[in-house]
Amino acid sequence: MSKFTLVALAALGIAGVAMAQGMPKPTTLVDRPNATGGEKLYIEHCAMCHGPNGMGTGLLARRIQPALLEQRSNLAAAYVITAARRGIGNMPPITRGEVSDPDLKQIADYLAAGPHLPASGAAK
Amino acid sequence: MADFPLPPGFTAAKMSQAQKAFEAALGADKVFFTDLDRIGYEDKFALDDRRHHPAGAIAPISVEEVQAAVKIANQFRVPLWPISRGKNLGYGTSAPELAGSVVLDLSRMKKIEFDAANGVVTLEPGVGFYDLYDYLQQHKLPFWLSTPGNSWGSVIGNALDRGVGYTPYGENTKNFCGMEVVLPTGEVVRTGMGAFSKAPTWGLYPFGFGPGWDQMFVQSNFGIVTKANMWLMPEPESLMGMDVEFDRPEDLKAMVDTIGPLRRERLLQQSPSIGNWLRAAAVLTTRKEWTDKPGALDDTVISAIRKKFNIGWWGVSLRLYGREEVNKAAYKVLEKAMNDIKPMVLKPTTWVKGQLLEYSGWTGTPMTFPMQNINWYGGRGGHIGFSPLLPQDGSLALAQFQRTYARYKEFGIDYQGSFAFGERHLINVNAMIFDKDDAAKMAKIDPFFRQLVADAKAQGYGEYRTHLDYMDLVAGSYDWNGGALRKLNEKVKNALDPNGILAPGKSGIWPTNYAGERKA
Repeated sequence: MSKFTLVALAALGIAGVAMAQGMPKPTTLVDRPNATGGEKLYIEHCAMCHGPNGMGTGLLARRIQPALLEQRSNLAAAYVITAARRGIGNMPPITRGEVSDPDLKQIADYLAAGPHLPASGAAK
Repeated sequence: MADFPLPPGFTAAKMSQAQKAFEAALGADKVFFTDLDRIGYEDKFALDDRRHHPAGAIAPISVEEVQAAVKIANQFRVPLWPISRGKNLGYGTSAPELAGSVVLDLSRMKKIEFDAANGVVTLEPGVGFYDLYDYLQQHKLPFWLSTPGNSWGSVIGNALDRGVGYTPYGENTKNFCGMEVVLPTGEVVRTGMGAFSKAPTWGLYPFGFGPGWDQMFVQSNFGIVTKANMWLMPEPESLMGMDVEFDRPEDLKAMVDTIGPLRRERLLQQSPSIGNWLRAAAVLTTRKEWTDKPGALDDTVISAIRKKFNIGWWGVSLRLYGREEVNKAAYKVLEKAMNDIKPMVLKPTTWVKGQLLEYSGWTGTPMTFPMQNINWYGGRGGHIGFSPLLPQDGSLALAQFQRTYARYKEFGIDYQGSFAFGERHLINVNAMIFDKDDAAKMAKIDPFFRQLVADAKAQGYGEYRTHLDYMDLVAGSYDWNGGALRKLNEKVKNALDPNGILAPGKSGIWPTNYAGERKA
């Protein structure tokens, strides 16, 4: 079992797993004060699920590595836009009311230009 | 004829006229009527995505734009379905009850104001838990949130649906202190002390003078909340507690009968939630890793999963908040009480200000990972929950569990259940996780849900919150004196919303012009 799943278990209050202090802090804009453009929009709109300890990261980790989207080097912008607008797997669609087309394009371009984080360590 | 659902009596031409009016009032960049937009606002977690298909959506960014949208809705008699952020997964997400409604998406309204002296935050509906969490840190404000297991959504939207968290401020709807609301006819009203011009106490005294209206706008379709004050918990000096596991299903009785009195006494001020082994395991693993047998899991498989992850049949986390000396004294009482009922494991936790924080729901940290449970069966996952209200009585809780567990086995569904404490009640959340690509299993969910409603009704247990598909069913179960409460709700609805344009069918409340849409 990965460290990620162990901390998730501890967070649910499951005793017998001595990891209660090991839960990673969620990534929000305060952690990336210099973020601009697509990176800033990604943190604002996507990191709750695709940051460390997010639902998206946890589910992707069962199928693909690296699970953090900011560590990926093979995300095409068009794919990101399609996945977001139509939903994919267990991810519901992201509507235009929530993220406008220009903002989603910036996010997609940012991910397509990855990787932005080293492949090890960032998810801890 | 449109190739998407329209409200009863509507034509595509009339909807097109309404769309143009919305575009003229709000700007085309806030009006969404493409096929892809309509699919995006469906409920992807539902039994049938198409059942609550909207005609389109609009996203105003101010109270004035909300008023303009309401004016147009009245002009064309087009039903609006307000959402805060549309992340109410398991209850309908962003989809409307009445197919063909236009979703009023408030997710772009994201203003935050904070009264740090009093711990009162004034929020617009688009502010999510992560947004507010970030705001508190950016401004170095020593306050904690009360976060639900899915913190992707709106802070006030969650409280407006009576969502819960796990801190002493965990009954989120109780933290409202004054709202700003656009009524279905377009007027704006402020509740509580907000009705008193320039009162510095809008966020401090919730009742005002005369009737208090905040709860009138909770789980209702009487107005659009465009702003609300909420109380936040000051960061405590200390946090102490324990994670406790119990080995047998029957241990539920002793757990409820031990924790309940401590909660009512307020030695425990937070809202503990007793969860079964699958609540934990479904986040960590998938069913296919353990068995390919159909039907509900047997005890052999359950034992193997529990052994692998070293978890009890039931688990609960208990936390004490406040001054360190007070917590230390209370902890002794709590520890003895729990040890007296012989837990399988009791693991203490402690924190004081300045130490590394436990980033969990018990410290108001936002999270989304608990939703990983929807991948339990694989495929395109979804879930709904049946959540009746019970007294804090161990024998009744155990009987409810045994009755419900037998139904899960009868319908061949793996049981994921929990019992969450309020001050005087328990919410028995029964999650139904499903794979939307498995047609045979999907066909069982609806009759299973209806069976659970009937079983609970026979015991006098009603649901506190439900999915769009079951709002009429649940509203109908509140049947005292010939359904007098529903009649009152609809009398108020018709008085406030004579054209029936606001969220028809929400919580089983139908305006007269859509009364024929009520379902069995």
